[in-house]
Amino acid sequence: MKLWSMPVMLVALAAGSVQAQQQSYAGPLIDAHVHYSHDAWDMLPPDKAIAVLRNEARLKRVLVSSSSDDGTQKLYAIAPDLIVPELRPYRRRGELSTWMKDDSVIAHLEDRLRRYRYVGIGEFHLYGADADLPVPRRMVELAKQHKLFLHAHSDADAVERLFKHDPDALILWAHSGFARPDEIRAMLSKYKNLWADLAVRSEHGRDGKVDPDWRKLFEEFPDRFMVGTDTYTPERWYYIAEHASWSRDWLADLPKDLAERIAYRNAEALFARTGFALPQ
Amino acid sequence: MRGLLLIFLVLLPVSAQAWTEAEREQILSFGPWPPEAARDSSNRLSGNPAAIALGAALFSETRLSPGGIACISCHQPQKGWGDGLARSKGMQQLDRNAPSVMNAHLSRWFGWDGASDSLWAASIRPILDEREMASSAERVAATIRSDAALTCQFEKVAGTAPQHLVDEAVMVLGAKAIAAFQETLTSGRTPFDDYRDALARGENAPYPEAAKRGLKIFLDSACAACHTGPSFSNGEFHDTGLPYFMQNGRPDPGRYEGIKRVRANPYNRLSRYSDDPDSGFTVRHVALLHRNWGEFKTPSLRNLRHTAPYMHDGSKATLIEVIRHYSELDEDRLHVDGEAILRPLRLDEASIRDLAVFLETLSASNVPDAASLERWAEEARKCRK
Repeated sequence: MKLWSMPVMLVALAAGSVQAQQQSYAGPLIDAHVHYSHDAWDMLPPDKAIAVLRNEARLKRVLVSSSSDDGTQKLYAIAPDLIVPELRPYRRRGELSTWMKDDSVIAHLEDRLRRYRYVGIGEFHLYGADADLPVPRRMVELAKQHKLFLHAHSDADAVERLFKHDPDALILWAHSGFARPDEIRAMLSKYKNLWADLAVRSEHGRDGKVDPDWRKLFEEFPDRFMVGTDTYTPERWYYIAEHASWSRDWLADLPKDLAERIAYRNAEALFARTGFALPQ
Repeated sequence: MRGLLLIFLVLLPVSAQAWTEAEREQILSFGPWPPEAARDSSNRLSGNPAAIALGAALFSETRLSPGGIACISCHQPQKGWGDGLARSKGMQQLDRNAPSVMNAHLSRWFGWDGASDSLWAASIRPILDEREMASSAERVAATIRSDAALTCQFEKVAGTAPQHLVDEAVMVLGAKAIAAFQETLTSGRTPFDDYRDALARGENAPYPEAAKRGLKIFLDSACAACHTGPSFSNGEFHDTGLPYFMQNGRPDPGRYEGIKRVRANPYNRLSRYSDDPDSGFTVRHVALLHRNWGEFKTPSLRNLRHTAPYMHDGSKATLIEVIRHYSELDEDRLHVDGEAILRPLRLDEASIRDLAVFLETLSASNVPDAASLERWAEEARKCRK
């Protein structure tokens, strides 16, 4: 008997089984890793960018840093209730591998810190012993002086060096350092002022299910993680809503309280530790 | 004396310079060509001569689409089985370049986004896509049933008349026949293949000096990290730093959407239409990752001479333009923890030309032509009960 010649059977098969769908997390969500750099401005002007964040992704707040910082200010100017500004040490794209050896970066940071209010300095790229260079050291001092956190795209070594410069520093570890859960656990255990964003990481929440190793980590450190997209090209702005949806799927696999902490409470708690007053 | 020897060694052309054992092994990995024919276990018509004939006839059948669009409209034999356009045009203007179907049967995933996991599923996709052929199972079945020769050939292939099958089953078998025909589209040997085989035998073969220098650049600059094997493609998906906005101002999600679509594809290898659901392990296990957003399939480098323009959006008109893209790569467009292999090649003009010459030697002069299509199709058209 050939399936091909069995129309009745085909109809029956076509009916198929409907897989039970898990409800997505429906609470507030903060995206803690967005850039609005100069090459996005024409393609996605500020009003449209805000519409993506507010209407398409349905975000409560968004931590934005940009190359140049003007991008962040453009968004903050029209949506202060949504945008949480942080200051990159980059004046334009293309400085991520040179900024730490460029003394003029300090003047840039000091100038912007005089003129605008921020919640943190970052996201910056810094690895290993480069964290001991004079520019990063001065940046850590500025963060302390202005009560800002540091958003570090760094390996564990650089994060440890930053904490040596200021043991009381607040550090948001971008991409959780692209480290394994056991490595992240070691760092979070060692540093109580270390938080971790999950930008560009997929392994913790595939297909709406939280990986067991990551679940343990989230349960051990319920106050330290937050979600983020990372819009490192203009095209990825259109991924923010997809990422939010993806995040809501795996957050739904966690207990409500833990999901809410990772979704927005941890980010708000970190913001509250700084000198930046969040508009209500 | 030692200084003179050093100068001599530095100036020694690549031609006289023996490849290192690692380089030789890598060069040999680009062959042999053609590869042994392998049948697609998910397609019971794979390799079946009667199905190949039916598939050839359907490949150029304009009645399949209400707009008179056939497979051959975008996969023209005289244009390397592409259409020569930057972005292809079906019933509507499309956002991607039509990839050549020559040697396509050697792939694991099909299309720039890999939305299909078999050649027969990839043949169904444009038939049903409103922007391409805007057809339906009903229309495909009606076209076959209304044509005596096609009906005859279909019956010869399926063992039953199309009138006795549901429309969808007729369409799927038709697509499997089209896939069987495309499996015959293997390009011929190239100057590189002759050089490679001679190297395997420990012999010398005529090969342009510039091509040897280009091959050396190809190996040294990690092009071969993604362009691997006899097809010069790893068959996977990457972000090459190229912008990927579409004409409507939205980005082309590429592989990200492709994974979603191949998983949900009712004609994938796991589906009831697959003749070997066990072969669907790739679609069962493929993971959807954030990095897949804006990734596109690594194209084969064979027969580039016949398949311009290049890249997923046809944005590069010449091989020189493609090489310049990788030479001057905008690293800011790549995530620092993403495509770690990709770095600007920073080639000088002479090296760019040499690399282009090497790539040209991957093109065959003997490629399947319209006559080969017609020979198969004619067999189907003369079928009588």
